[in-house]
Amino acid sequence: MLRKTPLAWKNLTHEPRRMMIAVGGVGFAVLLMFIEMGFLNALLDSTVEVLRVMRGELVIVSQTKFAMAARERFDLQRAYQAQAIPGVEGVYPVYMETMGAILRRRDATPPPRGYPIRVFGFRPGDPLWKIPAVAERLSELRQPGVALLDEASRRQYGLSRRGSQLAKQDVELTGRRLRFAGTFYLGVDFTNDGNLIMTAENFAHYFPYRLRGSNPLNVVDLALVKLQPGADPLAVQRQLIERLPDDVRVETKEKFIESEKKFWRKSTPIGYIFFVGTVVGFVVGVIICYQIIYADISDHMREFATMKAMGYRTTYFFQLVLTQAACLSVFGFVPGCLAAAGVYWLIASITGLTMEMKLATTVEILAATLCMCSISGLLAVRKLLSADPAELF
Amino acid sequence: MGTEPNIRATSSTMWVRTSAPRSRTIRIRDVQHYFGEGEARKQALFNNNLDVYEGEIVIMTGPSGSGKTTLLTLIGTLRTVQEGSLRVLGRELAGASRDELVATRRDIGFIFQAHNLFGSLTAMQNVKMGMELFDFSPKEMKDRATTLLERLDLGKRLNYKPESLSGGQKQRVAIARGLAHGPRIVLADEPTAALDEKTGRTVVTLFQELAQQQGVTIVMVTHDSRILDVADRIVNMVDGEIRSDVVVQEAALICEFLQKLRAFEKLTPATLASIADKMQAEQHSAGDVITRQGEPGDKFYLIRSGEVDVVIDDGTRKRLVARLKDGDFFGETALLTGEPRNATITATKLSLLYSLGKEDFQAAISASASLREELQKVLFERQ
Repeated sequence: MLRKTPLAWKNLTHEPRRMMIAVGGVGFAVLLMFIEMGFLNALLDSTVEVLRVMRGELVIVSQTKFAMAARERFDLQRAYQAQAIPGVEGVYPVYMETMGAILRRRDATPPPRGYPIRVFGFRPGDPLWKIPAVAERLSELRQPGVALLDEASRRQYGLSRRGSQLAKQDVELTGRRLRFAGTFYLGVDFTNDGNLIMTAENFAHYFPYRLRGSNPLNVVDLALVKLQPGADPLAVQRQLIERLPDDVRVETKEKFIESEKKFWRKSTPIGYIFFVGTVVGFVVGVIICYQIIYADISDHMREFATMKAMGYRTTYFFQLVLTQAACLSVFGFVPGCLAAAGVYWLIASITGLTMEMKLATTVEILAATLCMCSISGLLAVRKLLSADPAELF
Repeated sequence: MGTEPNIRATSSTMWVRTSAPRSRTIRIRDVQHYFGEGEARKQALFNNNLDVYEGEIVIMTGPSGSGKTTLLTLIGTLRTVQEGSLRVLGRELAGASRDELVATRRDIGFIFQAHNLFGSLTAMQNVKMGMELFDFSPKEMKDRATTLLERLDLGKRLNYKPESLSGGQKQRVAIARGLAHGPRIVLADEPTAALDEKTGRTVVTLFQELAQQQGVTIVMVTHDSRILDVADRIVNMVDGEIRSDVVVQEAALICEFLQKLRAFEKLTPATLASIADKMQAEQHSAGDVITRQGEPGDKFYLIRSGEVDVVIDDGTRKRLVARLKDGDFFGETALLTGEPRNATITATKLSLLYSLGKEDFQAAISASASLREELQKVLFERQ
């Protein structure tokens, strides 16, 4: 092929203006797909982000807990039992409240309405959080009625997040006063608009009704298992599964993160919605790309007919159009990808969602772009094949 | 027109080849062609027969819509043969598979009226497109393209794109592209229409060289009278029929013969040519009786080569009245008077005659009053 005249390339680049439109069109479709995929990934990533900032290689949850947001809890005893397994360095119970936790400002008149916020409780002695602010503010957190506020919490709470203003704000959580000792950064997701971190003692104070007639800290939402250095996570996991009763499930953290993402992607319409969005981007791309290739073919019908008269075969024309499609997809992908990076940054800074350009997603979208342009090429090639050399005379 | 008996349909096969035998590259037999479907179906070609030989330059003429381009596209495998037989380079096109058609097509060079060059490619690259289907090395391709383009006065324009070339230059690039792969047949549609006289001449001279030196068959549709002189044959089509197929050299010779006769000497070359055009060749061995005394006359004869004896039987004995040779003619008396043949004419050796049918002869006579008068005078003087 190398010694042949690169007709596909020459035709494509012959008219710079059309080429720019083509690149813009394909780039736009690429951008659309990136945004949709970006939102989907952001949704999935932000729901599991909290697991990533917790230490521990294994996760213990209730057997019936199908997603983090589900209010299925298990007995604190399981954490103590797990602690006894060889290879386990520590088990860190995590307490969590979402819908029941209403945060409201008290200092404005009339008092504004309150909004639910996700609250995490942890034992201050547990090195659970990778978030530096938690360790830094630990002594303050031990005081009653104190919590750390997620900087990414939405504006609806009407909170000031910075400096001296932060601690002075008069707010209440579930009707009891609360003071912010500082902030941390976690990020919101599609079900949670903000996050608070507090000690288990404080957590028990705000949510005393978790377990009717008993210590609210006796039921745990999830527990992270920190392994001793050099311990094999899978071996310890097997031990835990064997020794612990059937009311709990033990997963590696990575596996747990995956199944959490899978739940959101497969079991809720959200994943589907973004998939459809991506498909729309793809279809838009197919249409734009088809228009461009079709216009290019239409302008050269007589030349292609002449080539047919010369004895060029159908396979050559398929190759030609597919080469053009491949060139278009690569040329359109690069600017589309760059634009997407900019838009990601913008969305992340506005919404607080984790918009990350992942290699896997980028490769997927590149493949989709190639596929998109090839489909357009194959649709448009029919026009080329209809070129009739008999009409040239 | 289709119902009219086509007297001259086979005339092409009757023409005599005086040159050395060459192989037949195109053979058309009883080709009909239709356009449209059902009610709208319209016949475009009627009973076409044509043979074209290696190294021949055939010019096809005729009014637009006469079917000459249709015939050209059929030869070029660009349309499917519907009825009849069409052999190109020994391959039958009727019922041929796609692959066979493409294979045939690659032996053909096409030159279209429009240049159809890729605007994105240079002259050189456009010409190479015509060669890339074949096993030329890159150097060969470059050399061939350069030679051809230089030959067509485009040596300084090798790397120009069509947008920087004039119409005539573009057309010449297209001609080079059609010839680059060394086709055995060239099909050209008005190749010189966009060219001035000088470059047009360059192109047809190149055609002649290809025909004479490499035996390339060239079939050209043209209305450009400046290049008619390169034609070995001129095929005229009217209403989907081949009306005449004239071997130019032979036609000139016949006209010369006809003009030598006193009866025809006042005729214009056009009338002579149209008479020559309608004549058919017949070959007779020694001893063949061509006309027999007492039989009704139906043809007029011209002797192209050979010798015949004219014998009159007056009832008592046979008398040799004349021995006719090359350029002589006979048989006109019976046609003019409507009487039976007045003599028996026998070939004395292998003879080649051109005959003109009774109807055509009478049509020619009545078309020219002076011709009739001349003839009557001649006949009167004979008696």
